[in-house]
Amino acid sequence: MDKLTPPVELQRITPAKAVVASGIEMIFQSGAERFQALRGIELEIFSDDLELLMGPSGSGKTTLLSILSGILTPTAGTVELLGQEITGLSRGKLAKFRLKNIGFIFQDFNLFPALTAQENVEAVLNLKGIRRQAAKHQAQQLLEQVGLADKVKSLPRDLSGGQKQRVAIARALAGSPRLIMADEPTAALDSQNGHAVIELLRKLAKEEDCTVLMVTHDPRIMDVADRIVYLEDGMISPQAPHFFPVADGASSS
Amino acid sequence: MVSLARKNLFQDLPRFVVAQAGIMFAVSLVTIQTGIFNGFTRSTSLLIDNSNADIWVASEDMRYLDLTLPMPLERVTQAQQVKGVNRAEALIVGGAVWRRPSGEITPVRVVGFNPDGQLFKPWDISQGNLSQLKQPYTVMLDDSDKDGLKVERPGEAAEIGSFPARVVGFTKGIRSVVSSAFVFASLENAYAYDNSPLASAPDNPPRPPGLTATDRITYILIRAQPGTDLQDLQQRLEAALPETRAYTREEMARLNQVYWQKSTGVGFILGLGAVVGVVVGLVIVGQILYASVSDHLKEFGTLKAMGSSDWFIYGVIIKQALWMAVLGYLPGMALCFALGAWTLEAQAIEILISPITATGVFGITIVMCIGAAVFAIQKVTHLDPAIVFKA
Repeated sequence: MDKLTPPVELQRITPAKAVVASGIEMIFQSGAERFQALRGIELEIFSDDLELLMGPSGSGKTTLLSILSGILTPTAGTVELLGQEITGLSRGKLAKFRLKNIGFIFQDFNLFPALTAQENVEAVLNLKGIRRQAAKHQAQQLLEQVGLADKVKSLPRDLSGGQKQRVAIARALAGSPRLIMADEPTAALDSQNGHAVIELLRKLAKEEDCTVLMVTHDPRIMDVADRIVYLEDGMISPQAPHFFPVADGASSS
Repeated sequence: MVSLARKNLFQDLPRFVVAQAGIMFAVSLVTIQTGIFNGFTRSTSLLIDNSNADIWVASEDMRYLDLTLPMPLERVTQAQQVKGVNRAEALIVGGAVWRRPSGEITPVRVVGFNPDGQLFKPWDISQGNLSQLKQPYTVMLDDSDKDGLKVERPGEAAEIGSFPARVVGFTKGIRSVVSSAFVFASLENAYAYDNSPLASAPDNPPRPPGLTATDRITYILIRAQPGTDLQDLQQRLEAALPETRAYTREEMARLNQVYWQKSTGVGFILGLGAVVGVVVGLVIVGQILYASVSDHLKEFGTLKAMGSSDWFIYGVIIKQALWMAVLGYLPGMALCFALGAWTLEAQAIEILISPITATGVFGITIVMCIGAAVFAIQKVTHLDPAIVFKA
């Protein structure tokens, strides 16, 4: 973890908590069938950290990410994001909160295929109330930041997987959100692109004062995380399950 | 602002073209049905609308222009005496049989008027002049009836009943879809034709005599003195002229229009066609929009997850619908105008697309497309943004 530790004079004395989840339970019910996806989740994520949420398939990672993003409402428990309790917010207020504070990155990129790279970023800026030239300019800057200055006019179909994910990262960064929620962002990428994307995310987390929470199966990126949270059977596991490799640098939950 | 609606729409060009063809079809169907209805309605009151009379006096038994009972010419003189009447003129409208030189017969509608009068005359003369109609047994026809009556140019002759009919000129665009071909003649000639027995024309028939007080005419056209209250004048005319009714020009036109609309059911039939057009358009646009929304569901889910409001997404779909409406309406309307010009030229059948019709059809197109959008919006309303995390 040495390479991630800031000089003593810059170290956080009381690090702010970006995410606080308390007593999270999630039960899905379909007719008579009842499935408990999460049980008793207690989780705190500090600002500007890059944290990984890992676990086997069906362990509840995506459900937890959806709840921590304010997309799903838990059956029980509370979620506090950036100091604001969001579990009681209405759908509309939750949407506004997400728009203002959270950037999303998806496994399948979820770019708008009809829009160019620049327009994909611009569309989110437009949603956030930034219009016309200001939006264009910011979109270009963000794409430049992720190394795609020469691809601004390209449609997603003309980009490689790694480039698409970079556009998605630029889009997630549009409007400078304080949180980035990423769902398997390297799953569709080869090793080289996967690493490049993670490096980029880590750099952005540190430089842009952005907390990144990432669901992943990818053991290749464990060493860049500040912390790894393991989920198993809907519960946080105090240590990595036996079938998971343990990261060299990152601390486990 | 990035137009997601426009870009999504044009992304799949073949599908977009199919959608536009569907909307064009709907627009054309509604416009043509409405245009034919308007043209039909106008043609039923063509002679009335183009007269210069304030009031038409008819038999009290009249049902519509071509179905009425005659009245003696002396009623014209009596009408002239009524207070508030500036001018009164006789009009004869009657059926007759046109016999071509080849011997074929065709029904015609003879319209007799005073060529020196002011209250009625053919309004668009393409060849000849009205004074030529003062000669015995002369007539004017409409260009559009040349084929039907087998006449090509002035000077040609045929027969009406047992009298000769020499063509001295032509009008342009005076044709009614509910009437036989119009044959314009002086009152004297029209009276002769109207009362002619159906027999072969004698050689050198006598000149038609001037009309006497007891000779039968069909209508009296009245021009009121300036400042006269027309309702009062109608009452005075009906009181002064036994067994008659007086109609303002608008009332007379309306009476004819309503008669033909009701008796033929044309309004219902054409209206039904227009409704079918709207329904077909609604289904086509609905299907296209629904399919488009289904195709872009993950994108809409992404927008929802990122925090866009439902209304923003509805806006995207409605904008798509509006684009489809405008881009379907414009070529659809252009097609209708072209078709209208062709039918008028080739068949003298008017597809009347008035500014009100064009605006109304645009409104219907918008409503149709928005309606289809509302149908498609249902799919987004229930969309769970959590789908974005399901690869």
